[in-house]
Amino acid sequence: MNLPKINYSGRRRLILAVLGFALAPVIGSGQQPPAPAATAPATGAPRAAPQQARPAGGIGYEKTVPVIKEGKWTGKRLPDGQPDVSGDWSNTIANHNNTTDPQGGIPGDPQAARSGNRRPLGPREERAPSRVSDPADGQLPYLPWARAKQEEFAKGFFVGTRPEWVEPLARCAPAGIPKSFYWHGYEIRQYPGYVLFLFNSGWRIIYLADPNHLPPSIKLWQGDSRGHWEGNTLVVDVSNLNSKARFGRTGEFTTENVHVVEKFIFDNSNQRYNYVATFTDPDAFSRPFTVTVPAKRWTVDSPPNGWHYEVPLANTTDGRKIPDHFERICVENNGGFGRGAAPASTASTVSPVTAPSTPPATNP
Amino acid sequence: MKSLLKQSVLMLSALGLLGAGIAVAADSGKIPRLANGRPDFSGIWQTTSLADYDLEPHAGRKDAPPGLGIVEEGEIPYTAQALAKKQKYFAARESEDPRLKCWTLGTPRGIYYPEPFQIFERAEDLTVVFEFGDSVRTIHTNGTLHPVDTDHEFWLGDSRGHWEGDTLVVDVRDFNDETWLSRAGDFHDEALHVVERWKFVDPNTIEYRATLEDPGVYSKPWNIDVFLYRHREKNFQLIENYCYTHDYDQYYPVPAPPSAANVH
Repeated sequence: MNLPKINYSGRRRLILAVLGFALAPVIGSGQQPPAPAATAPATGAPRAAPQQARPAGGIGYEKTVPVIKEGKWTGKRLPDGQPDVSGDWSNTIANHNNTTDPQGGIPGDPQAARSGNRRPLGPREERAPSRVSDPADGQLPYLPWARAKQEEFAKGFFVGTRPEWVEPLARCAPAGIPKSFYWHGYEIRQYPGYVLFLFNSGWRIIYLADPNHLPPSIKLWQGDSRGHWEGNTLVVDVSNLNSKARFGRTGEFTTENVHVVEKFIFDNSNQRYNYVATFTDPDAFSRPFTVTVPAKRWTVDSPPNGWHYEVPLANTTDGRKIPDHFERICVENNGGFGRGAAPASTASTVSPVTAPSTPPATNP
Repeated sequence: MKSLLKQSVLMLSALGLLGAGIAVAADSGKIPRLANGRPDFSGIWQTTSLADYDLEPHAGRKDAPPGLGIVEEGEIPYTAQALAKKQKYFAARESEDPRLKCWTLGTPRGIYYPEPFQIFERAEDLTVVFEFGDSVRTIHTNGTLHPVDTDHEFWLGDSRGHWEGDTLVVDVRDFNDETWLSRAGDFHDEALHVVERWKFVDPNTIEYRATLEDPGVYSKPWNIDVFLYRHREKNFQLIENYCYTHDYDQYYPVPAPPSAANVH
C-alpha cells in the first residue's frame, strides 16, 4: 500500500463498471458479430453470440412480459411459512440503457452506430415493451418541468461536464429503485422476519415483522422497505427514498416525496416472477405510474452469463454443484471514474487496468 | 434420552437456584439455535471496545480515548521493516486511514468497528451486513472450500466456516492490501490469513477471537479477543450508510421545479 494513493487497483469493481457501461453493448447484442474470442473470456464475460443461437445469452434475450397472476402459492415454503423464493434472479429484457424502450438503444447516443444494445434491436414493434406498464402508452406521466429535467439528464450523460451529469451508479452509488432490478443479477436470501436482496450495487433489507417506516427525515438511496406476503406475492411499501438514483441511462427520476408499492409476483414454478412497482409522486408526475420488470431464476445449471449470473461453482470435494457468492464491493473506483455511459473510447482507456480477477462464469 | 433431558432440566434448575454467580453458565444453555441445533448468531451486533482506535495498549491522545487494546499478546509482532511502515501510517493516520474514504473495512476490522452490523444466519451460511459502507460478507458453512483460484484479492477475504461444538470457526484468506486494521495504521498485506472463533458467552454476547498471520508483516501469528453485544433497544435497526456517496451527494440535489429551486 503506497501512502498517497489514488486507488484504481480495485480490479473487480472496475470490471463490472466497464462490463456494464461499455461491454454490455457487446454482450447484450443479438445482432453483433461475435467478440474476438481472445478478449471476451479475459473480462469474465461470455462470448457474444447471435441471439438466435443462444437464446439465454446476453443481457436482453426476451421480448415479452409473461402473465403471472396474483394468487395462491403452491410451491415450497420455508419453516416460517414464507414462500421459498431464495436464490439468484435477473431481469430478462435489457439493462438500464432505456426505461421506456428497453431494447431501443440509448436515444441520441453518438456511439449508437458502433455496437450492440446502444442501438435498437430491430423495429419498435419487435422489441420488448416499455417498462412503464401503466399508463398504457408506456410513457412516464411527467409534469413539464420534470420532463425537461429528465431530458437534460439523458443528454447530459453523454457530456459529463457537470457533476450531476455523471450517472450516480457510475460512482458506485446503489442502483436504487427500480434500477436494481435490471442492473446485473441479484440474490434473494430469506429469514424469519426478513427478505434480503443482495444486488450488484447495494443491498435491501425488507422488514416483514414491523410495518413502521423510519422517520421521514431519514432519506436513503434504497429507501425503507416494509413488506408482507399475500399468497404468491411479496408486497413491499417503500418510503424514505433520497431520489438520487436514476432509473437508467435515459435519466428518469422521482422526487424524495415518492411513495412506492412493489409487488413481487412469483410464478408457482418458482422459475419466474414479475416485479410490478407503482410510484406515486405528485411533485413530478401528473398521475401514479407502474413499472413492470420480468425476472427469471438462474441456477448452476443455467447457461454461462457474466452479466445476469456472476456466480461461479463453489469448490467442493464431493461433486456437489453449489453456487458460490463472492463479495460485490464497489467503493474504490468512485473517485475519478466518471462519465457513466461514457463513449466506448473513454471506457477503453480504463479497461487496461481491469485485470481479470472477477471469476468468469465457470458453470458448464 | 428422556432421562438425560430430565437430568439436564434438573441441573439447570439447580444452577438457577445457585444464583447470580453462575448466571453466565445458565444463560449459555439457552443460547438461540437454528433448527439444526447450531448456535444462531442472527441479530444486530456491535462492540463497545475502543479497538478500532488502536489495537494495542495506549494512553489517551487527542484522536483516541485510552484503552488496553484487544491484542492478547499485548503488542502486534511486526517485523522490523513492517513496524517502520506502521509508524509511517500512524503518523499519517488522520488523512490516510482507508475508513475516511469509506472503503470496505475488511476482516476483522469490520467486526470491531464502532458501527453496527447484522448477521442473518441459515444452515448453509451467515450473511454479515455492515452498516458502514455497503459491504456484505458471506461466511459459508456449507462444507465448501476456498476457491481454487487464490488471487481474487477480496476486501473481506474469502470466508469458509465450520462448527467445533458451539464455536463457529472461520478460515479467511485471499485479501487485498488496501485495508487497515485500525485507525492507528495497523496493516497487513495480501498474504493475511485470519482464523476467527465466534462463540456465545450468553444469549446477548458473542466472544469474537481471531488469529492473524501474515509472514511478510508479522514475525509470528497473534490474537485478538473482543466482545460483541446484541442491540436490544426498541426498534433498533441498521440504517444504510453508503458513506462513500457523501463526497458527491451534493451533486445530486433533489430535482425540483424551477420555481422551487430558485428559493434555495
